[in-house]
Amino acid sequence: MAEDVLAPLAGKVLSVAVSVGDTVEEDDEVLVLEAMKMETVVYAPLDGEVTALAVKVGDQVEEDDTLATING
Amino acid sequence: MKPYFERMDAFGKALKPGRKKRTVASAEALQGVEAEIAEATQAVEEAGFSTEKINQRGWMTVYQRLEYLVDEGTWHPLHTLYNPEENTKGTTNVVDGLGRIEGRWAVIIGFDNKVIAGAWLPGQSENILRATDLAARLNIPLVWLVNCSGAKLPEQEKFYANRRGAGTPFFRHAELEQAGIPVLAGIYGTNPAGGGYQSISPTVLLAHKDANMAVGGVGIVSGMAPKGGFDAAMVEDLIAKMKDFTARPPGDVSTHHDGTGFFTRVYEEETGVLDGLKEYMRAVPAYGEEFFRAAEARPPAFPPEDLYHLLPAHQKEVYDFDEVLARLVDGSERLEFRPDYGPEVFAGVCKVDGRLVGCIGNRQGYLGKDYPEYGDYPGIGGKLYRQGLIKMNEFVTLCGRDRLPIVWFQDTSGIDVGEAAERAEVLGLGQAVIYSIQQTGVPMMLVVLRKGTAAAHYVMGGPTANRHNAFTLGTAATRIEVMHGETAAVATYSRRAAKEQAAGRSLEPVIDKMNQLVEHYDQTSRPAYCAQHGFVDEVVPLPELRRYLQAFTGAAYQHPASICPRHHMLLPRMIRG
Repeated sequence: MAEDVLAPLAGKVLSVAVSVGDTVEEDDEVLVLEAMKMETVVYAPLDGEVTALAVKVGDQVEEDDTLATING
Repeated sequence: MKPYFERMDAFGKALKPGRKKRTVASAEALQGVEAEIAEATQAVEEAGFSTEKINQRGWMTVYQRLEYLVDEGTWHPLHTLYNPEENTKGTTNVVDGLGRIEGRWAVIIGFDNKVIAGAWLPGQSENILRATDLAARLNIPLVWLVNCSGAKLPEQEKFYANRRGAGTPFFRHAELEQAGIPVLAGIYGTNPAGGGYQSISPTVLLAHKDANMAVGGVGIVSGMAPKGGFDAAMVEDLIAKMKDFTARPPGDVSTHHDGTGFFTRVYEEETGVLDGLKEYMRAVPAYGEEFFRAAEARPPAFPPEDLYHLLPAHQKEVYDFDEVLARLVDGSERLEFRPDYGPEVFAGVCKVDGRLVGCIGNRQGYLGKDYPEYGDYPGIGGKLYRQGLIKMNEFVTLCGRDRLPIVWFQDTSGIDVGEAAERAEVLGLGQAVIYSIQQTGVPMMLVVLRKGTAAAHYVMGGPTANRHNAFTLGTAATRIEVMHGETAAVATYSRRAAKEQAAGRSLEPVIDKMNQLVEHYDQTSRPAYCAQHGFVDEVVPLPELRRYLQAFTGAAYQHPASICPRHHMLLPRMIRG
């Protein structure tokens, strides 16, 4: 089952902790968004493999943009 | 009121392995700061003569007296690192905290007789006033271990005079007594001049057989009228008088027990004085443990060590405040006030050892679309907006009405700014919270979890709420400053930078100053600095926070000056509907 990781808010991608092909566990850090001087960690919603990364460091994203896809 | 309080709404969830793994470095950073604080604490406790040296002289140290006096496991030190005048020994020379004596809570304070025989030092009177004020906020006895050689004379100009100088605590003792709060004193050693007033100003004076107290000690009594200097004959005369007074210092127990009767009792042994204090503490008014319990006491549903993985050391990282609170309150249960309004603020009724408290804290992170409702920008937790300020005003007012002590949790970057925010009345609503706090009669405590910034640090029950804030705790992540250092550097130097650029000069000197200011802010907002300068009353390891909440609520409910029957409370009904 593939699940998209969505941006919880608009912001800038500060760091990306995973690569395509990585195995992640639920609640692992996927990336960090910076908005309003605060850093919001975006977590893996399920165990699985990262099959797609839609953003890179420095990208500006909008709320609900797809950031990554995890196949569980 | 079982339907409301026996089982409240459960919240929080167990820590996931992924989060624990991801936050190892943050946990280690927090524990590293706690280790530094522990090291500084040990240095303060070892200041002056060694315990062995004091014991060889036949005396106990203040720490040994405290250990004998205070019920095991109930000592909660405060102001350990407080040293605002930067005394070389690292201490103001008093040791104080909350503890139980014979099952009753008291504020306990004693002179450190290892350091200059317990002398007055710079910064000490402010430390003492924090202890006297704490007794007033919690309406519990103040217990003194007096052993005070008087002023450290070479530095008298730093503490003798002034509104909050070394004499102010004697007026505070009178205030406490007039408010019906007893001040008990166990008196040891030589207590001349300032030490004499430290001894005479409490309510009940229990003395060791070798104690004395006097308006002036040997040094003053044997002195002479000023003659513009000293010569050998004068000093020899002085030595002769000193010897006479060494044999019998003024104001010993034969004078002040047998003669004036100021000492209520005299004890042969040092421990006898402490036993006497215990006997008097058994006689002070206090409600029993069960009197104000709304439910059976229960620990939180989750372990306190989780806090290291929930509160990020990194100042900008978002976290879930509710998960922190779930590690601190009974059963991880609450009755949340207006959960659908002012999402940046948690407000609700919780239990600590079965007793009801109001809890207020900053929630973190993105606050959802269309919030704040008056701005075209996203709202982010830690900041206070119109709704959150209104919610705090309502909750504080109702806690005052229902006589619920309040525990504040700060991690705030300030109140919303800008024209839209001004039109949304945030300035007036912030001051309204201060007004709301000030019109309650309930004691409050504060935990600065991470950031205490801008006016929000005042508004959210900060130490500036001096008539209500009993004490303020810091953590390893605490930072208290008017604004972030980088923001301050921009505010201070941006115009200067523009001028330099327009003049065609190098920007490097301005950049250096900006970075220096950032560094200065960093150094002067850290936990150790906050503790040294009294921004917080103690920096506490995260797993110890609940113990201090227990001490606060236990003390606040020991003998409250005003009570509200649970069946007359409004808050639970307003929450449940």
